[in-house]
Amino acid sequence: MLVPEFVPQIFCSLYLPAIYTGFIVGFVGLVGIAINKSDIHVLILTDIVGLAMLIVVGAVGTDLAEALILPGLVVELAEILAISEILISREMRKKGKSSSLLPTPYVFDMEVMTTAPNFLSLLLIGYGIFLTGFTGGVVAGGGILLYVLSRKAKGLPIVLIDGIGAISGIAWCLWIVGFLLFFITPDLWLLSLFLAACGLLLKVASKMGLIGTLMREEFKRE
Amino acid sequence: MGLGEFWNKLANPDRIPRIFALILGLFLVVGLLVPFSLNDDQIYPRPAPQEQMLDGDRIAPYDRGGEILQKPGITVAQYPCFSEKIGMINSYMSPIAYNIKENSPYFGTSIYSSPGGLIDEILYYTRGFDTILESTILMMSFVIASWLALNFTMNRKEEDD
Amino acid sequence: MDLGSLGGDLMGIVPLGDIVLYLTPLHLFMFIAVLTFTFLIAISRTETQVEASFGDLKDNELKVGLAEFKARRFLAIICGIATAGAMITGDLFNFILFVALTGVVNVGIVSAVKQIDVLDAAFQYGLIAMMASLPLFGGGAIILAATGTLSFFELAKFTSNSMVLFGSTLLLIGVAGETGIAPFFATKAEMFRTPGSPFILIIHLSSLFMIIRAIEILLVIIT
Repeated sequence: MLVPEFVPQIFCSLYLPAIYTGFIVGFVGLVGIAINKSDIHVLILTDIVGLAMLIVVGAVGTDLAEALILPGLVVELAEILAISEILISREMRKKGKSSSLLPTPYVFDMEVMTTAPNFLSLLLIGYGIFLTGFTGGVVAGGGILLYVLSRKAKGLPIVLIDGIGAISGIAWCLWIVGFLLFFITPDLWLLSLFLAACGLLLKVASKMGLIGTLMREEFKRE
Repeated sequence: MGLGEFWNKLANPDRIPRIFALILGLFLVVGLLVPFSLNDDQIYPRPAPQEQMLDGDRIAPYDRGGEILQKPGITVAQYPCFSEKIGMINSYMSPIAYNIKENSPYFGTSIYSSPGGLIDEILYYTRGFDTILESTILMMSFVIASWLALNFTMNRKEEDD
Repeated sequence: MDLGSLGGDLMGIVPLGDIVLYLTPLHLFMFIAVLTFTFLIAISRTETQVEASFGDLKDNELKVGLAEFKARRFLAIICGIATAGAMITGDLFNFILFVALTGVVNVGIVSAVKQIDVLDAAFQYGLIAMMASLPLFGGGAIILAATGTLSFFELAKFTSNSMVLFGSTLLLIGVAGETGIAPFFATKAEMFRTPGSPFILIIHLSSLFMIIRAIEILLVIIT
């Protein structure tokens, strides 16, 4: 059976236990937030609430539900990213102390950094381009990061491009154009498919570069 | 506790998330009393778990039928007029992905992703606007977090005020 | 309830795959109103707050720096566009994502301030926004499970039951938290205490429009 006409019985019978699990998990997380006093703990506890949301969405058990989980996960991730930065900013202003991205200095004391990092990063970038899409972007971006870190480990100069975040933005636009093309002229679906896939690759890969820019102070630190 | 005292408590931003959490948590408990049942007439249904695997399907659990560039896959979309075009994407696989599928019985469960052919892509397109919004949300929080990091939290030593 | 009975006659639809935007006189008016306000914000400059200092005759001017001004303007425009999009969307999940987007951007607009109180309020609001994703997405998923669709055209035909009612109430709690209406207004009210009008105002405007649209959507689903 490729695609059933109705939702299979197993999903219907599992819906009730699944959604109750979601409610109970959500309740535990929310009560934890309600009685906790520390801001950072509350921030971490909101992740449990997000988990409950994923269970409730996933309980529906269709392909659509699978697609809806991704936005839910991303929204949760995005908000924690922005809000934790605000918390850091607030605490730094309150205490007048500064902090850095990583609590301990970077140690590049790994064999992989000196043996064949160039080959490995080339392999990662090549494999990433073959994959395209989200996964490909992450793999290719990992290759770029490995290359940069290995140069740092070997004491070679690193060229830091401040505008690398902009590439991410432009690739994002390419991706959106791919989507819009599909909506307007569905006949060009193959072209828009590839526009979107390649835009996504560039976007995610260059976002890794942005992380590199954010860590530029770490590069200087001994 | 009088009503005025309660309103005063509500005016303190530190308490608001806690109050919100409490109200929401209590409401979820109420949810345990509501009768829930899944309507089986859903859009984009999927086969039962393991069904395609046990059949020995090479791209299980994401086989939705169709032939590459020839026949559309089966898609129960919200607006049936789009089903055919969506099905074409559903059945598409890149040449590399096709070769892997021919040579390996585990393509569907491995992490070789490919443009088209797997479930993510078809829903990216049919619900593409959601995906645009979702990535916009991520982009905006990246903008907020990296802007704060670059301007305040990381370069604070150089800040002159 | 029929879609036309609240917003007026259906003027047209904008199909984007499975997500269909639709236009009625009410939605078109709200859409244009939000876009006009966003445009006015985009071309305006920020105010300068003047604080009188105690004990002498000096004034203390609170200005917004150029970098901060640009970041805020950008986020305010995105917030305006997201609000405008939510006015005409015809898909429940799409609307939820628009609400979540305005929530994130609202936090972002005030995130660059230097006052600790305002940063604290922004953080607390952010916590609510994160928790609100459970009722927002969960409510949407429960309505999907009960009716098997997310499109307002289909939802309008569906007769309500207790599960839909529960999902809708959950959705309402989520929207109330995310837009910061009473009784959760204190965090948002606190966020306004920073220089940077009119960008700050879009936070307020977006919540107003979002809550109107949310109530309309809930009426369409329930009745």
